[in-house]
Amino acid sequence: MTASTPSGQSSGAGGDAGTTLPRSDALASERPPRREEPPDPSPLTLLDFYPPQDPRWTRIAPFFLALKDGRFTTTRCTRDGTFHWPPAVACPKCHREELQWVDLPTHGRLYAFSEVRGGAPLGMEGGVPFVVGLVDLPGAPLRLFSRIVGRPYAELALGEPVRFETFPIRDGRLFYRFRAGGEPATR
Amino acid sequence: MNGPLRRVALVGGGITPFGVRAATFPELIQEAGARGFGSLPNLAPEDVDSLFVGAAQPERLAFQSHVAPLAAELLGLTPTRVIQRTELACASGQSALRSAYAAIASGLSDLAVVLGVEKMNLPDMAEANTSMADVLDRPWDGVHGATAPPFFAMVAQRHMHEYGTTEEQLALVSEKNHRFANRNPTAQFQGKVFTREKLRGLPVVAPPLRLGDCSSMTDGAALAVLVEGSRAREFTDTPAWLVGSAQCSTFHNLAHAGSLSSWEGLRKAGQELYRSSGLGPKDVQVAELHDCFTISEIVEYEELGFCPKGEGGRFVEEGQSDLGGRVTVNPRGGLLGCGHPLGATGVAQAVEILGQLQGTAPSGRQVPGAAVALQHNLSGSANVHSLLLWRREN
Repeated sequence: MTASTPSGQSSGAGGDAGTTLPRSDALASERPPRREEPPDPSPLTLLDFYPPQDPRWTRIAPFFLALKDGRFTTTRCTRDGTFHWPPAVACPKCHREELQWVDLPTHGRLYAFSEVRGGAPLGMEGGVPFVVGLVDLPGAPLRLFSRIVGRPYAELALGEPVRFETFPIRDGRLFYRFRAGGEPATR
Repeated sequence: MNGPLRRVALVGGGITPFGVRAATFPELIQEAGARGFGSLPNLAPEDVDSLFVGAAQPERLAFQSHVAPLAAELLGLTPTRVIQRTELACASGQSALRSAYAAIASGLSDLAVVLGVEKMNLPDMAEANTSMADVLDRPWDGVHGATAPPFFAMVAQRHMHEYGTTEEQLALVSEKNHRFANRNPTAQFQGKVFTREKLRGLPVVAPPLRLGDCSSMTDGAALAVLVEGSRAREFTDTPAWLVGSAQCSTFHNLAHAGSLSSWEGLRKAGQELYRSSGLGPKDVQVAELHDCFTISEIVEYEELGFCPKGEGGRFVEEGQSDLGGRVTVNPRGGLLGCGHPLGATGVAQAVEILGQLQGTAPSGRQVPGAAVALQHNLSGSANVHSLLLWRREN
């Protein structure tokens, strides 16, 4: 685990709360403002696999803003120290809302992996075969599931080193995955 | 049993043909009604005070919600006590059974119909595959393109790595269950002989899992009738008594799956099942286990105490899960041979168990003298395990 870095320090993601997520009571009366840009032209609005990233729709927007800085983050409870995955707005252990954004390690090792050769969801059928796996992040009590790129299935082994990277999805959004071998291709 | 509960018996039921069916969601419900009520000549629709419907994804796969009243109308029922649907992904059917059990045991209901149904085959299967991806934690796990096969492939990879389980042993599970399915007229796979050699020549879906290691996307429905114990013999001389149950949910996001090769949740649920029934793994002669993938059945032997941890591969290799073995597993044909219509599977397993305990299963599938039967369903990424224990005498 790298040093705790308040997201507000580098990206302003946490707003004036800095190290803490906004409390739910502060947002209780807010409603998402009317969208000003044209609606998403995709016919798959209800089948969009990716989570909402815009602060108008989610309270964990700092996670996605950090991706734009090439940083991989999650929340940790300031009270009991629990690491959350995915990022949370209330601690599932002690149910407090005072959480802190922390950086995650960007290098890990494959704990298990397989390859999707068929039966892929809409929008991903053209991408088969592709590799997915569980990645152990040394130093963090986390083992994350992710798409694995960079090497074909047949050239991967248990324990293979992999590295976090971001990649663009539609609408200017970014998401994360892990890359085996070679140099990272963070945007 | 737990506390002062009323006894609950399974007295009849029916199963539609499973498969890629030229039938809609409502049509499958009607077929199950014809077969289920047809098995119970003494049961009139007005005797039914409650209806429990197990259906996992009708909103996505059949574009229909509020399916319990739809089913009530199609089955000619006007329940006055309880009407509800249960959703627990692959265990939706068992969840409906256990809800009916709880209602009857507590006195809320006296006679309940349990219907399980799923319509999974769509003109564009990518739509159905998309729905399967949302059984996982969709924005964080499903988003990476994973459905069930790659997850259970990782389970197989770790089990092979840690315990030396082989692809040959996986194929033996499939061979056994397909052999049983060939004697089950409601099974999806009919008249096809799957030898281990043939199975190991089928295409890879998600390595190391091949097509024959995976259950199917299946259409089907099943109906079962549960009654309060004192009324059981109005309907049959040989009811199946529900004498134990348990569930355990241990995680959802795959980050919290822990060891893939050990299913702690199933071990805990099994301990609770045995505690609640006063019986143990050695008492079980028939087990309907959730073989969504071959590796699942192998891990389940271990966690349910049929064999020591890590020896599930050897257990099937020695024929211990076949007829004449220690415990006959999936004489119905399993999910591998019958197909897996999510909501229907658990209800169909119970109907199979009733036949096994009554001694009326077809030759080649009947477990001689079966008196205690275990029913297991996992759901999602084996993050939830649901168990029922059935007994011939009470």
